Amino acid sequence: MIRPAIFRSVSFASRAPCSFARLLLTGALGLLAAGAAMAAATGSATDTAPRAIWHADIATGYERLLESTRALDQATQRFCDAPSASALDELKGDWRDAFFDWQRVRFVDFGPIDLDSRAWQFQFWPDSKNLVARKADYWLSDGRTATSEAIAGGSIAVQGFPALEYLLFDASLAGRGIKPSDAQACALLTAIAGHLAQEATEVNQEWQAFATFYKTTDTLTDTTIHAAMTGLEILVDRRLASPLGLRGTPQVNPYAADAWRSGVSLGTLRASIEGMKRYFAPGLRALLAERGLDELIAPLDEQLASTLAEIQALEKRERSLGEMLETQEGYADLQSLFIEASQLKQLINGRIAAALGVVTGFNSSDGD
Amino acid sequence: MPVSRFSLRPIAVVIAASAAATLSLTAHSDSTADQTSKQAVTQAAVVKNYTDLAFATFQDALTAAKALDAATDALIKAPSEETLKAAKQAWLAARVPYMQTEVLRFGNAIVDNWEGQLNAWPLDEGLIDYVDTGDYHYALGNAGAKANIIASQTINIGGESIDVSTLTPELLASLNEIGGSEANVATGYHAIEFLLWGQDLHGFEPGAGERPVTDYAQNDNCTHGNCERRATYLDAATDLLVNDLEWMVAQWSPDDADNYRAELLAMQPSAVIKKMLFGMGSLSLGELAGERMKVALEANSFEDEHDCFSDNTHNSHFYDAKGIQNVYLGTYTRINGSTVEGPSLAGLVAEANPELDATLTAQLETTMNAVGVMKKKAEAETKPVTFDMLIAPGNAEGAKVVSDSIVALVQQTGSIEKVARELGIESMQPDDAGHAF
Repeated sequence: MIRPAIFRSVSFASRAPCSFARLLLTGALGLLAAGAAMAAATGSATDTAPRAIWHADIATGYERLLESTRALDQATQRFCDAPSASALDELKGDWRDAFFDWQRVRFVDFGPIDLDSRAWQFQFWPDSKNLVARKADYWLSDGRTATSEAIAGGSIAVQGFPALEYLLFDASLAGRGIKPSDAQACALLTAIAGHLAQEATEVNQEWQAFATFYKTTDTLTDTTIHAAMTGLEILVDRRLASPLGLRGTPQVNPYAADAWRSGVSLGTLRASIEGMKRYFAPGLRALLAERGLDELIAPLDEQLASTLAEIQALEKRERSLGEMLETQEGYADLQSLFIEASQLKQLINGRIAAALGVVTGFNSSDGD
Repeated sequence: MPVSRFSLRPIAVVIAASAAATLSLTAHSDSTADQTSKQAVTQAAVVKNYTDLAFATFQDALTAAKALDAATDALIKAPSEETLKAAKQAWLAARVPYMQTEVLRFGNAIVDNWEGQLNAWPLDEGLIDYVDTGDYHYALGNAGAKANIIASQTINIGGESIDVSTLTPELLASLNEIGGSEANVATGYHAIEFLLWGQDLHGFEPGAGERPVTDYAQNDNCTHGNCERRATYLDAATDLLVNDLEWMVAQWSPDDADNYRAELLAMQPSAVIKKMLFGMGSLSLGELAGERMKVALEANSFEDEHDCFSDNTHNSHFYDAKGIQNVYLGTYTRINGSTVEGPSLAGLVAEANPELDATLTAQLETTMNAVGVMKKKAEAETKPVTFDMLIAPGNAEGAKVVSDSIVALVQQTGSIEKVARELGIESMQPDDAGHAF
């Protein structure tokens, strides 16, 4: 099924944030083609301008995502052609690599990723009602065989990394006698991996086509900063605060973490901070320098480094976020990570945004 | 159409606060409006009218909830197809004014902190009563999802043991979010909806919940057990709803010098204007377009349907959107057909930027038309198509109906933000506006 054309022009990049920044894109996307046509004609953006840096860095992030989703697609096919324990381990590793590459660019909520709910296609989250499992189970029942086309036209809950994670890691499947190498599971694995690789290819191409428009449209500076702010809000207030029971109800809930099935939620958080550091911070530094706000550059670098260091130290202990929630000591460690990440959020969303005069709009905290 | 609405809109109608003694707000004739239309609209007058609208809407919600309470009492007293049907009708009618109050939620913490007890959603209904275990999907990690209060004297949730032998409004209220899960909703419209309709086991096919009236039979005909406790539960939940609404009506009453309305009127008018716009934008975008439509549509998930037991989702969406329009235009059509109207945001914007006002007024109308299509499809006499059918996999036509509404809501939100800027409100984030950095 092809969604109605008009739907492609407006979409939300992830479940929680229906950020106002995205509205700017409604207009921007309409001009995507025009922007591409202008590419040769205009040269106002220099390579050192903040948006030129952001465009190049995010392009790098998308290229990595494309490479790793392709590798995942191939690993899926290898595994399904000749299933073995080692091929399964390899496949799980490739899933992790690609999922982490997604986490690194997850904050980008404008541009081609905003078309057709693509962010949800990569990762439908949060999924409190376990739609991922239910929609995947549909393809594992009654002799159905999934194809990439069928997956692309169906529920978004079964299109992305979480559905693959379900097939590769979920304990309940083994309990029901379902193995990843079963014909139906393999059909679904390859269909989803193929769909992801296809989406990553399109996002890459469209990000390139977006270049001139992005670099020559001044309002997209704020859009980019908003994206990072929203990404940090989601990271702190949802991805961390929800499992810790620090948001809404005071109850720990391991299922509210990014990757509870595979136990790599700490890794996803780390990757998202890495993404901020690699693909957002360089452009931001240039912007701060351009505006004479050099004094904010060192605090930015220091805070990014210390937040990353804290999370890496936790990862080294080789306990998953879910396991940490079960002990007082683990919970206390996660609390201090929460504080550390909150400081990063406070710095970027508060101090830096205020200094840059970035105005906030409706965002993820609006709904309930 | 937008132009004519605009010119007909009374700009400075004064709502007779004195009429509040009889708990009714009077409508004003157009001639009154014409005489006063030359006066400049002040922010203070707009704020005052906003509190009047809120008061009238909550009053209507209370009136309709009392009718629901009476209808459920009649059902409990004499369970029959007729009394069950009348109770369902009363529930549907009660949603009409209540949903128009939702725009007051965001921005007014007093409403937002209170409304969970009335309209929390989605809920894991297995907390309340029996469910079809083969077709029941609850929130991951919710220890209370299958507690079944009606069938139990004691429930155990997350290591906590709770005596539920006597079902009172206070007990039910205390059970909300028990065990720390937001999906544990023991009270409010949706709990009552579940008690009247039961689970909708039709998936994407036509049909709503089909709870048999014998679930309330106080004799050997009782189905699914515990009919007496089920009736007591329904009675307590409807009583609580009335109580809660009475409290909120009092908060907006013009007769009290020490309530929330008085607090708002004592504030800088621009701070209240900001609350108004924040409510409109938050409901339009994050909540209605996002959580209530987009998730359900994109995931083909009828579990994410707002009124999933009764299949009344189209009306919830319609009257949510209506509430947004009400706040902007400064008008509200009461359940008795009379109109409350007065100085409006639209009037303020029209003075500052007539083009923006015309745009937003037209966009709000476009939204009403879009959700109107949804309502019309659901209420068609032949082959009605309800929201859970619109979002079925492969239903391109249905998807378009929903996405048209989403697009319209997103577009109006853009203009709401422009209005905020036009009126000098810089940040729409309520907590750290302009300071605390």
